[in-house]
Amino acid sequence: MAAARRLKRVVASQPGFLNLKSSSDSTESLSSRRKRVNKNKKKNWNKHSDINDVEDFLDDVRHQERTTGGLLSEKSDDSLFFLDVGQPKKAEPKEAESVEGKKRKGKQSRPLRIDLILQHDSLVPPPKDVLAYQQPNAKKLRRIAQKAEQLAAKGVVPRRQKQLLNRRPVDKKVKAAVTEANNNPDREYYDIWGQETKDSADPWYLQQTRKKLVKRPEKLNEKPSVLPAVEVIAPGGSYNPDFFSHQALLQEAHEVEVKKQKEEDKIERQLAVNKEDTATEETKLREQVEGLVEEENEEETAPNEEEEEEEEDVAVGAIAVAEKKTERQRKREKAEKIKEQQRLADRQLTDQRQQLFQLRSIKTSIKQQEQKTKDKQKQRKVKQEAQKAQPRRLGRLKFQPQDMEVQLSDELAGSLRRLKPEGSILKDRFKSLQKRNLIEPRERAKFKRRHKVKYVEKRAFREIT
Amino acid sequence: MGGLQKKKFERGSATNYITRNKARKKLQLSLPDFRRLCILKGIYPHEPKHKKKVNKGSTAPRTFYLVKDIRFLLHEPIVGKFRDYKVFVRKLKKAYGKTEWSAVERLRENKPTYKLDHIIKERYPSFIDALRDIDDALCMCFLFSTFARTGKCHVQTIQLCRRLTVEWMNYVIAARALRKVFISIKGIYYQAEVMGQPITWLVPYQFSHDHPTDVDYRVMATFTELYTTLLGFINFRLYHSLNLLYPPKLDSKAASELKEEDEEDFAMNSECYLEKLSALSASLARVVSTAEEEEAELDQFPVEGEDMEKMEAREKEQKQQEAQKKLFEGLKFFLNREVPRESLAFVIRCFGGEVSWDKSVCIGSTYEVTDETITHQIVDRPNIDQQYINRYYIQPQWVYDCVNAKIILPVEDYFLGVTLPPHLSPFVEEKEGDYVPPEKMKIMALQRGEKPANEEEEEGEEEEEEGEDEEEEEDDDNDDDEEDDEEEEAEEKNLKKMEEQRSQGKSLQVKVTPGKVKVENPARLEQEEKAEEKRLAIMMMKKKEKYLYDKIMFGKKRKTREANKLAAKRKAYDDAEKAKKKKARK
Repeated sequence: MAAARRLKRVVASQPGFLNLKSSSDSTESLSSRRKRVNKNKKKNWNKHSDINDVEDFLDDVRHQERTTGGLLSEKSDDSLFFLDVGQPKKAEPKEAESVEGKKRKGKQSRPLRIDLILQHDSLVPPPKDVLAYQQPNAKKLRRIAQKAEQLAAKGVVPRRQKQLLNRRPVDKKVKAAVTEANNNPDREYYDIWGQETKDSADPWYLQQTRKKLVKRPEKLNEKPSVLPAVEVIAPGGSYNPDFFSHQALLQEAHEVEVKKQKEEDKIERQLAVNKEDTATEETKLREQVEGLVEEENEEETAPNEEEEEEEEDVAVGAIAVAEKKTERQRKREKAEKIKEQQRLADRQLTDQRQQLFQLRSIKTSIKQQEQKTKDKQKQRKVKQEAQKAQPRRLGRLKFQPQDMEVQLSDELAGSLRRLKPEGSILKDRFKSLQKRNLIEPRERAKFKRRHKVKYVEKRAFREIT
Repeated sequence: MGGLQKKKFERGSATNYITRNKARKKLQLSLPDFRRLCILKGIYPHEPKHKKKVNKGSTAPRTFYLVKDIRFLLHEPIVGKFRDYKVFVRKLKKAYGKTEWSAVERLRENKPTYKLDHIIKERYPSFIDALRDIDDALCMCFLFSTFARTGKCHVQTIQLCRRLTVEWMNYVIAARALRKVFISIKGIYYQAEVMGQPITWLVPYQFSHDHPTDVDYRVMATFTELYTTLLGFINFRLYHSLNLLYPPKLDSKAASELKEEDEEDFAMNSECYLEKLSALSASLARVVSTAEEEEAELDQFPVEGEDMEKMEAREKEQKQQEAQKKLFEGLKFFLNREVPRESLAFVIRCFGGEVSWDKSVCIGSTYEVTDETITHQIVDRPNIDQQYINRYYIQPQWVYDCVNAKIILPVEDYFLGVTLPPHLSPFVEEKEGDYVPPEKMKIMALQRGEKPANEEEEEGEEEEEEGEDEEEEEDDDNDDDEEDDEEEEAEEKNLKKMEEQRSQGKSLQVKVTPGKVKVENPARLEQEEKAEEKRLAIMMMKKKEKYLYDKIMFGKKRKTREANKLAAKRKAYDDAEKAKKKKARK
């Protein structure tokens, strides 16, 4: 910069330099009188030396640079002047065109004034930002890169990279294991019973950190029912059954059906309205008239009530009058009591003596009693055994056995091709689980609507109807 | 008297039980989650003996659990997973509501899942325990594998069930473990013997589902979740016990045979292998490939406390079983398109037969209809156009009946268009004196090695007569001692005649004829002696024992009487049928 300025000053001092504002300069110099100031102080230099000329010059230089992009004196003649050859020939049509264009485009073609103001009109190029080309810590980074290259050439892997390399495969595996669902059709199985459990860690540690599972109580492995998992259908259920087994199965199904029918009938009977309870003409009339017509019965009952009252009075009086016992009476009662006790004691003694001779009968009676208890025990055991095969009452509902699968004689198919399967195996399995007390019988939850459904006729629909 | 006041319901059974709702609250789970947890852990509700005591004086019906069981549940790690899942669902709902799709995706990626391996190990500490409980698992998996993929349950579950059942069937084939089959109106019952355990399962017919509404699908799905895990581990173990690869691979030889150009017609590439496995027509690859080595027969030693007779019986049974395993060996079957392919292929392959079907029916057919070496073609239609001379055309029931009878039955009764003999249940075991249907007697006779008479007779005979002959013969088989009775009767008749003649005053022609030497039958003598001994023993009985004995004998007699009645009824029925037929023919 400084060099450029110096150069410009030199240029300006030369006789051929054209000054744009030359006139103002000259007037100022004439009017002011010279002042005397000490020149041995730097402060005064700054204060009193006249630098206007230099500043003007510099302003001029900057102005030239702004407007023309350089000093006019340095420009070539071609760029400054041109040869005047008169009006160009194409001027007229151009004008016409421009008029038309104006009409057509109007204001849109002209740039806005605000834009014009904001436009960058200086021809001086913006200064270069040196920092943009610089890198902080460049030297250090370069050194690090060089070192890394050297290490790589030697085959040494940096620690960070090593860690990354180590981590990646582990991560992948874990993720795969996590995302694999239980019902994945391609899942792997292994020998679960064959491998030995690894007791590497301290059992106390495993227990405390919940790594070791709690031992399953033995009692849980008992089955809740003695029934087999799969109950094979009776021989009559064959697709091409033997005549008698088929008949037997039909009979069984028939009995089940009859039982059901009976129960239904019973309920119906119980619910039926008793004919005697229904109102007839007579009873209606009696009800309406009740209380209006006096009957003779009432009169008859009235005297009876009075008698009863009298009796009650007498009884109450008897309780109230309680006589006191005399001394003599008391003594006699006591003596009687003692005598009675004595009598009973004597009786017991003789009985005991007599029992010696009744030993045989006592023995038999004891035996009988024991036999009785034994029999009862046996019966109870049999009952318990029978109960084991029965479905238990596990919830609100009782177990309802499935309808028997039966094909009537005319439904039986002659060949396997024409066989129509009966019943549903899904239901059969479900009922079997219930029967074996593995799950409690339930009924399907009823759908309850919380809010009433509002019926709105759609517009499109309304238009049609 | 001092001491604290005793309060009601603070000791005894009231403290041993807990209601379901309380247990649920203790575990901080919702009811469906609680139910699921109980099913997975094998904890079932209990019925207390004294409901009123347990229910704090109320008699309202409630579901009770044992407090100890619930306390055990508290330690289960899966409970935490259930809670996680609850939170996951909540977050997902929120993200959906806010239409934050990236969040939805992220949540779905990190969906909490759990495994049931530790529960299986805990519930079934040894392999045999697991094997005993496999019936349920098989039924459930077979059932779910036949479901349509319509959203009644998770599609993945259906696929997994299908895979497991196919693996199981392949194992049964490889082990030749199948024993009984019963085609019922419900479905097909199979019984196999695996490691000495009889295992029964029920397979539904294909396409037979109407989904009942009163079944809780969530409960069933939970059971299936547990059972798929169990069955998978059992399959693994079973495959390894047979030296087979798991997951199953087709034998390289068989695989090359099965390779066809039109595989794409049947399944996608990813499913192709499973489909081929499920075709059941090829054998599986072994870990150590062995060329059908003969196993050395083990020497048998009587177990202590077991006499020779029992051992012999056991040996005999074993031999029979071995024979049964090779029932269809050397036979070549072809299945027509109208027969149930999977069931038949499974049964035939279980007994060593070769089986194939039309190429367009299913993947994995090994030979064509035109193959000359086919011995049996299974057909289920009244007639067929093109018939080959060197093979039998039979109805599918023949295969099942053979398996149950443990012998190859005569094919005549099962030809095309013939009315089939009844399909008897192999799961019924008749005791002495029970009614046995004549068809079963026939089969039993065949098993003993006796041949029905009609085989030697001409073939042109009418069927009805054949039937009669058979029945008559059976009667003979049945009661050998009746003959003896008849002889005695004849003698008595002779004597009676003589007596009558005498009484009528006719002079008898007195004649001396040379006497016949009475042939003494030593066997008969022995029998008589035995009967005499028995009678004497009965006479010597105490009064009490005699009473008991009479009771038992009366019961037996009643049973036989009833059986006889049924037999007579049956005969009447058969006669009526025959008469009807004759009329119809006329």
